[in-house]
Order: sequence, then structure tokens, then C-alpha cells
Amino acid sequence: MRLGRYLQAFSLVALAVLLAVALTYKGLGDLPNPAVRDLALWYLYTTLNPEVPNMTVMSPEAVTAIVWDYRGLDTLFETMVFFLAIVGALAIMRGITLNEGGEGLHIERYGLSLITKTATKLLVPLIIGVSASIALHGHLTPGGGFQGGSAAAVAPLLVLVIFSTYYVVFKLRLSELSMISLRTLGLMGIYMTSFATLILGLVIGVNAYIFQNMPKANAFIGLPPALGGSLISGTLFFFNLFEFFAVAAGFTLVFILLSIPEVKAREVLKGEEHGH
Amino acid sequence: MERLGKALGVGLVVFIVYVIFSGSASPYDLITGALVAGATGFLTANLTVDKPIKFLQLQRLAWLLTYAVRYFFIDEVKAHVDVMRRILHPRMPINPGIVKVPYEVQSDYAILTIANSITNTPGTVVVDVDPEGKALYVHWIDVKVTEPDKVREEVSKVFEKFARRIFD
Repeated sequence: MRLGRYLQAFSLVALAVLLAVALTYKGLGDLPNPAVRDLALWYLYTTLNPEVPNMTVMSPEAVTAIVWDYRGLDTLFETMVFFLAIVGALAIMRGITLNEGGEGLHIERYGLSLITKTATKLLVPLIIGVSASIALHGHLTPGGGFQGGSAAAVAPLLVLVIFSTYYVVFKLRLSELSMISLRTLGLMGIYMTSFATLILGLVIGVNAYIFQNMPKANAFIGLPPALGGSLISGTLFFFNLFEFFAVAAGFTLVFILLSIPEVKAREVLKGEEHGH
Repeated sequence: MERLGKALGVGLVVFIVYVIFSGSASPYDLITGALVAGATGFLTANLTVDKPIKFLQLQRLAWLLTYAVRYFFIDEVKAHVDVMRRILHPRMPINPGIVKVPYEVQSDYAILTIANSITNTPGTVVVDVDPEGKALYVHWIDVKVTEPDKVREEVSKVFEKFARRIFD
């Protein structure tokens, strides 16, 4: 027993030392070529720099600038992958819902203790407020729509666990349908934002691109970098805002689906097998 | 109308937390904060608040601030010193056990205040609550008495006094 503990400690130390040796002597492969650092320098130089008007994103947060502008198309397809996963979950769980059968349930008897419930009541609005701040400051400080949306989904998750699924569906009336609607609105917003500059260009009759944010050399229109003196970094604000709703609603939807009791799910699946 | 009052109360708290978390009070933060606070307050009004009129009773806020100072600088310090003494003492003088602590406050938030005050001070942890019997069950590092009313005198009397004035 004691020998085992010494062996554990020794193996951890040995791992750390060997990794350090391997890294020092390039045992894990060559270190990245210093030439690629120029790319990072270029991002940092242009991300908020009005002196390079055709290159800048007008956002001090280089990570968000890369995610939603420099490589924005990549992020759009990542978002689509995430929402396809949710569509998949919806397809598997089709027909399984708690929307009826809430009468006669003593919802207040479900869930954890009074203390936990009361603390949760207080935490839920604060979680939503803080996560909205993470999303709406995505173009200024670390964070963004996905991060904020995931954090916001913690609020319904807490209520699901601490009060029960029945409370969420019948008392708070957070139905699967309302979450699907909110998620779809968020996705529509993301798509509209990616077309915004193009539509603007078509209306005015000048050259513009899909997913364009700031003006470019051969397409001189773009979305405003600031409103009333406050930076919004053009499309970045809108992408973060809509992504926040889409992700929060998407996660909440999956949490509700996963928390439906197995007995209820089986009823639906059995009915399907018998061809009802 | 009542929902509006609740929403305003919750919204004010959310607004303050939003601005503090954002770490700046530029027009952008104040405008987005107000919108977020309004929406959040409206959404969670019925979940979070029962009697919005209490937001207007400023003496509750005064008691809350007094309690915050007292709790962190007196009650917490005393409990920490006591537990540190027990840990460092060569004979480790502990007498652990679970005792029943009755309470007389009405509102859920007052019960939560008492329970969290007990748990956050070292040496005592609330392990269960019995809302019908109006009692908390507390694990106590040094059970001096077991008679519920005397335990209350020792463990939660101060907390309860403030909790009643802030929330009841």
C-alpha cells in the first residue's frame, strides 16, 4: 500500500522530468517555425488599427476578430456542425415530450432541499446577467457568443437538477418548442449578419462580399465599427449576440430532452413499435 | 403590475452585477446592461421574488450591509480562530455531532441566510432542513449542548436576528 503511493509519486515526477528532457532535445518533434509568428504579429498589428483601413477588424479582442472575421466562414460552419448535432438529438428524441401530463403532479415536492432551491432562485438571474456580459463584450474582452451562451445554459440546467424537469416545463413553461424557436431566431440572425454587408451593397449598387465586415479595397462599404462612440466592431457584435441566443437555447433544449424520465421516453418508443 | 415591480427589483440587482462583472461603466456597458437587466428581470421575476415591496424598504438594505460587515469581520474571524485552535491543539479537542437548530423566520431567503451563515463559518455545517418542523440539522465540531433552544442560542441566534430584519 505504502510502496504503491511511493511508486505513484515517483512515476509522476519521472513523467515530468522525461517530458522536460524530451521537449528540450526536440524529442516531440521540431518546434514551430519562427516564420509563422509573423502571422500572429500581423493579426495583432491589424486587429484594431484605423491606419490600415482595408485590413483592420476594429476590435481589440484579436481572438474574436479571428474567429468571426479573419476566419469567419470557418466559424459559421463550426456553428452549423453544432446545430446539426442538436438536430440529430431532436430527431432521435422525436415525439418524446413532457408537454402534457403535468396535472395532478405535486411539482413542489420534487427536487432538492429548500436551501438549495432558494439559492438557485437567486443565482439564476445573476448567471444570465453575467453570461450576457460575456457575450456582449466578446469583441472587447475574452469571451463571446458561444462562451456566453454556454454559461447562460447553466441557469436552466441548475433548475432542471435542483427543481426537476417538471418544474422547468410546467412552472417556468420553458417548452422544447420555445427553445427550438429561440435557437432558430438566433441562427437566422447569424445568417442575416453574414449577408448584411452584401445586401447593403446590392441596395446601394456597389461591390460587396458575403461575410464582409469592414470596408475592403475593392468593396468600400461595411458595417459601422462604433455606435455613439462605443466600439461594436461591425458584424462581431451581432454575431456574438445571435450566437448567444442560439447556443443558450440549443443547450437548454438538449438538457430538457436528456432530463425527460426514461419511463416517459419508453412510452413513446413502445407506441411507435406497435404502430400507433 | 406586480410582475413589473418584481422585474424592476431583480433587474436592478442584475444591472449592478452586470456592470461590476464588465469592469467598466461606459455608455455601451450601461445601455446593454439596462437591456439585459430588464429582460432578465422580466423573465425571472416570478421565480426570484415574492414580495417586491421589500426592495423599497431601505432599512432592510441597511441591515444587510451591517450584517455583511459584522459577519465577515466578527463571526467569521471568531469561528476561524476557534477551529484553528482546535486543529493546532496537541489533544485536538473536538466533540463532533449533529444537532437540531430550530428557527422562527418565515421567508425562504431568511432561512437560506441562516443556513448559509452557519455553513460558511468553520466548525458548523448545515446537513438538512425541515421546513415543516422549522428546524435545521447542523453538524457541529464541538457539541456543547444538545437541547434545541440552547443550541440555537449558541449557533444561530445572531444570524437569525439579522436574517429576520433583512428578509422577513
